[in-house]
Amino acid sequence: MTTLIGPSVLDPSLCISDLKTKRRASVIHELVARAHAAGGVRNVDALCETLALRERWFGTGVGKGVAVPHARSIAVIEPRLVIGRSRRGIDWDAPDGLAVQLVLLVLSPAEASEDAHIDRVARATTLTRLHRNRARLIEAADAGAVADLLAATTS
Amino acid sequence: MTPPASATTQETLLELQDVDLIRAEIEPRAAARLRKLGFQLPEAGTVDKHRARLLASLDRRWLLHYERAQSRYGRGVTSVRARVCQGCFITLPTSAAPSGDEPLTTCESCGRILYWR
Repeated sequence: MTTLIGPSVLDPSLCISDLKTKRRASVIHELVARAHAAGGVRNVDALCETLALRERWFGTGVGKGVAVPHARSIAVIEPRLVIGRSRRGIDWDAPDGLAVQLVLLVLSPAEASEDAHIDRVARATTLTRLHRNRARLIEAADAGAVADLLAATTS
Repeated sequence: MTPPASATTQETLLELQDVDLIRAEIEPRAAARLRKLGFQLPEAGTVDKHRARLLASLDRRWLLHYERAQSRYGRGVTSVRARVCQGCFITLPTSAAPSGDEPLTTCESCGRILYWR
């Protein structure tokens, strides 16, 4: 099961327990920078541009306080899932109007198949579908606890 | 001979590749899956309009390389890892590596545009 998301769900360095920024574009940049530091991204600016275009066209808020920005991009080296948490919430223009507290950034390299990428997005989205899981992720003490919860959820 | 890609051409080609990958998600099968997950999808025309703007701003010779590879393989730009083209997986000769700050060349085997970073 974890293969759809990859080992990143077990990596606390890819969980930001308290996002510093509160604007959508800045949050995306913060998450991409974290993926870059973990060796998953080769071009931060190009990837942020692609994600910004998607936000402009699609909107990636899926409701219930969750957003799943995602990209299959030439700027990505390896699949990564980066999780950001904001206790105060971020305005993400979600369909239900709720502020977003959990942001799951799903990245796939351009070489990945479309199906593999959407599978990753689906796994990330499904992780937060249950109220119980969302509440645990939001209440978890730190990045390590978030990673542990994700490992437990995906095992 | 294709001239070295300027910084603007490089940015445009990379963006064009990513826009084409986004465009693929609006095709019916992928779109149905994404809608089921709760995503709202745009009209194809919105993406196509942006794509047309990128095409119009691209150097004609790079545009031809891109379109030829895109129509043949579904991807016009591919990355290089450990001197291997990630499109056709041929090991590229040392001489194929770009010089200076020019991260784009073309693969002599498959014709895709190579992104060396």
